[in-house]
Parts: sequence; structure tokens; C-alpha cells
Amino acid sequence: MSEKLRPLGPKGFVPERDLDKIPVLETHHLGIDFGGLTAVNEFEITIGRTEITGLIGPNGAGKTTVFNLLTNVYKPTRGNILLDGVSTAGKSTAQLCRMGIARTFQNIRLFKDMSVIDNILVGLHHEMDYTLPEAILRLPRYWRGEKIARNRAMELLGIFHMQDLAETPAGSLPYGAQRRLEILRALATNPSILLLDEPAAGMNPSETAELMENIRRIRDTFQIAVLLIEHDMSLVMGICEGIAVLNFGQIIAKGTPEEIRSNPTVIEAYLGKQQEV
Amino acid sequence: MKKRFQLSTPTKYAINAFLAAVLLVGGTMLYNSGLLNRASKAVLIQCGIYSILAVSLNICTGYLGQLPLGHAGFMAVGAYVGAIFWKATVSWPAGLTILLGLLIAGLAAAVFGIIIGIPALRLKGDYLAIITLGFGEIIRIAIINLDGITGGTPGLLNVPKYSTFLLTFACLVATIFITHNVVHSRHGRAILSIRGNEIASESCGINLTYYKVFAFALSAFLAGVAGAVYAGFQGSLFPKSFDFMASINILVMVVLGGMGSMTGSVIAATVLTALPSLMQALSSYRMVIYSLLLIVVMIFKPSGLMGTKDISVSRFIEKLVNGELFKSRKKEGQEHE
Repeated sequence: MSEKLRPLGPKGFVPERDLDKIPVLETHHLGIDFGGLTAVNEFEITIGRTEITGLIGPNGAGKTTVFNLLTNVYKPTRGNILLDGVSTAGKSTAQLCRMGIARTFQNIRLFKDMSVIDNILVGLHHEMDYTLPEAILRLPRYWRGEKIARNRAMELLGIFHMQDLAETPAGSLPYGAQRRLEILRALATNPSILLLDEPAAGMNPSETAELMENIRRIRDTFQIAVLLIEHDMSLVMGICEGIAVLNFGQIIAKGTPEEIRSNPTVIEAYLGKQQEV
Repeated sequence: MKKRFQLSTPTKYAINAFLAAVLLVGGTMLYNSGLLNRASKAVLIQCGIYSILAVSLNICTGYLGQLPLGHAGFMAVGAYVGAIFWKATVSWPAGLTILLGLLIAGLAAAVFGIIIGIPALRLKGDYLAIITLGFGEIIRIAIINLDGITGGTPGLLNVPKYSTFLLTFACLVATIFITHNVVHSRHGRAILSIRGNEIASESCGINLTYYKVFAFALSAFLAGVAGAVYAGFQGSLFPKSFDFMASINILVMVVLGGMGSMTGSVIAATVLTALPSLMQALSSYRMVIYSLLLIVVMIFKPSGLMGTKDISVSRFIEKLVNGELFKSRKKEGQEHE
């Protein structure tokens, strides 16, 4: 495919290596109102094919709402979203997943009474192509599909060294492992962009450092983009190439970690305005 | 470390096929041996029919995690469609007409399952319960009023009595086989994931409506087959056999056995069908004992007798060989009984 180079203007900060490719995700004037309340407004972002982007902001800024908009859990009131250059309007969450957008949740949503490997196999649902009669009669295509999917699931578990936990019920995993499993389940759907909602929540500093390394490794191995919401600044500043800061549903700053760190508007949003004496 | 002993898949299938054959052949021999009186034979067949119904309702309640209250409605559709078909085709060769009748009865119920499922499954919890309850009653009232076809309140009589022990329990084995194979496939995992968390399931690319309606239709199909077997066993059908209490009865079996356990459904269906006839002498206290049983189970094991576990002989043998039998959790038994 021959894609034109897209002018980025003030919207994005796509890393150089992704510049000549069509962005994996693009939003235009995205916004949603709940009744009279404008939760998100004029949300504009461009994410390169293999970029790691951070979305930060104070509590209640609308970060998770943005994720819900991107996955069509909420229907946007305004604006549109382009995934791989294709508009996502009118698509269901399940269809969007197949188009290449996968996510994790702030409050972990695993299938608790299913085993770890079954959780991942749900993510691999569309990788298997046997039909229902083939499953009922246990025809060769069933066995082949299941075998390939199981091997793939074990490979994915290997990313976080969780192969030994494959048959454990997901609900009985420790908290950190549950977060990791959720990431793997999202990866199983073969996304082109992975949305992580507070992946480091509840992790200690050494676990966070390991997670950081793993997110980078996942990006390198699968050549996908990552958009993450996170409050842990060491993680955000450590791995994100671009950062967008959200406050009261508006993007107040965008840029590289260095730019964001020294941006007065961002400091104000987080710490409040300094009183003139 | 010593490698854990495991049976190969074909061996497991052979074991299960063997057990099913023992059940069907042994059961038939016992049934025809003259050791059982008429009443016990009837109870035996009813145990089979209610086991099919409980296993089929378990697909909706246990695996999908919804609470439909109109299961007897699907059973009624299957029973009347099967009975009318069989009455019209008495002159056909028995084998052909029996199989066709079961299939048509199941399909008719599945069609109703889809029709009711599409609107009903947009609702959750109590709303779904109420709409399915209403549906069950609509079916019953419709049967009463369509007396030209269904015989109405006086009943549909002279249905050919095709349901032998073999037919009933072959249907049960088939039901368990189908349900097991569906649940342990990508389709079944999709259904289980909906029970686990709808939003996460949808985010994994699972089409919620499709799989909900599918589970509903499969459940209805099997209930329809059970209905036809019931018709072929009774020889006459009356609308009042398919009232609200019939649906509740099946639901109680599922809850008692454990939502998500086929073994539990079969055990509970057998116990709750056999118990009343064994307690003829105590018939006035029957409902009391029945309720006490439920209360006791709900207090001591709220997830039902079997929870979500299923019994498998293959696993039993593996554990026996590995010497894990008494180390870990307790006994395992037989899948097809």
C-alpha cells in the first residue's frame, strides 16, 4: 500500500520511524456528553504504528472515558476515530476488537472462574476457525485449531513466565499476575494497538520496573502501538515516547516526556496554581 | 520428577463410549428383565427425561449465567410438535419417524428459543426471568386455545409410545455428549466468558448477542427433544403438565445439582424425580422434605451439590495410577450416569 505522509501539525508527536506509515489511531474532534456534562471534548490524538503513548491527568479528567470512546463502549457525541485509517463509527466493541484494538481494564475484568489458559483462549477465539458442528463431532479441524491455539496461548504466557499457572483459576492469581494475564488476553486478540488502563496499579517499584521492560518488549516483539493510562510517573516518563495530558476532558498539553515535565500548565493541573505574593 | 500418568484422548473416548454402552445395554436388559414393576420403570424413564431437561437448562443458567423461567415452554413446543408429527406418521417405518420426530421437535423448540431469545437476552437478571416466565405461560395458553391442532385442555391423546429405555437414555447420552463438546470448544468458552464478564468478553471480540442467542437456542433444542421423548413416553399430553411449576422444578434441579455441572444436574434430576415416588408413604410431608432438602443444600453448599465440577472416569483412573486419589480432593465417579 502506498500511503501519503500525513501532516501532523499540532496534533501529534509520532516518532520518526513511524512517520512514513499511516497512523494506527487518529481521532478528530472527539467528544462525549453525559446529559449536560461534557466529559470529553475536542480530543485529538495521533498515534504512530509502534509508538508508546501515555495518557495522564488528575483523577476524573476523563482518561478511562477516552478508552471507552476508543473501543465504542460509549458512542461518541462528536467527532470520529480512525483505526488504521478506517472510521470506527457504527462498529460494535467486538468488531473493533477484530479490527485491531485491544484493551485492559482499570478494575481487572478477568473471567475469574475460568483457568488462566482459557482466559487467553477466549482472546484467541477468532484465531480458531472450526465451526460448531466440527466442534460437536470433534472433527480433525477442531483438534488442529485447538492445538495451534493452545500452543499460541502457552507462547503468550511465556512472555510473563506464567506457563506453570496455565491451569490455575484466574480468580485465584495474585493481583499483579491478574494484571499481567489481562495484558496477555488482550494481546491474544492480535491487536495493532493495545490500550492499557493503569497497568501498574497496585504494583511495587520492582514489579513496575519489570512491567515497563515488558511493555517495551511486547511493543518490539509484536510491532504494535501502546496507549496507556498511568499515574506512576516513573513508568510514564520511562517508556512513553509521547504524552498527552488530560484535564476536565480537554487535552491541555502534548509532547515528549521532557516537554511535559517542564510544562507549567501541567504542573498547575496537578499541583494547583502558585499564589502570587 | 516422575512424569504424571495421563490417558491419551482416544483412550478417554473409548472409556466414555464403553460406559455409555454399559448404561444403555445394561439398562435395557434390566428394564426388560421383569425385575422392575411398572411404576419403577416409569420413574426410570422420567429420571432420564428430567436429566435431559436439567442438563439443557444448565446451558443457560450454569454456563451462560442467565435465569430463564420458561423452560417448560420449550419442552411443551417439542412435546406437541413431536407428538403431532408422530401421530401423522404412524404408518412410516418406526426408526425413521422416531428420529425425524425428535429432530423436528428440537428444531421447533430452537426456533422458539431464537424468537424469544433475541428480545429477551437484551434484558438481564430479573427482567429476563419475567419475560421468559411470560413466554412459558403464552405457550401453555396458546396450546389450550389451539384445540383444533393440540387437543386443548382435554389433551392430545393416542400419541404412539415410542419412548423406550434405550431411546430415552440414548437421548440423554447424546445431550451430555453435545453439551460437553460445545462447552469445551471455542464456542463454549465464549459462552462461559459472557458469564464471567460481559464487557471483557465483548472486548475480546466475542459477539454477545450471537452467543447468548446460540446458548438459548441450544438449550431450547435439547428441551424440545426431551419434550418429544416425554410425549412418546406418556402417550397423551395435557397443557397443565407444562405450567410454571414445571419450569421451576427443572430450575430447582439445576440449582441443587450445581450451576455449571452436568453431573450435578443429572444427579439432582434423578434424586428429585425418584424421591417423591419413593416417599409415597410420606406423601403428605413430601413438599416439606423437598423444601428442607433445598434449604440444607443452600446453607451448606450454596453452589449446589457439585459446584461447577464434572465427574470423569478417565480423570479417576489417572489419579488412581498417580496415587493422588486421597491426597487431593475426594472421589470421582462416572460421567454418563
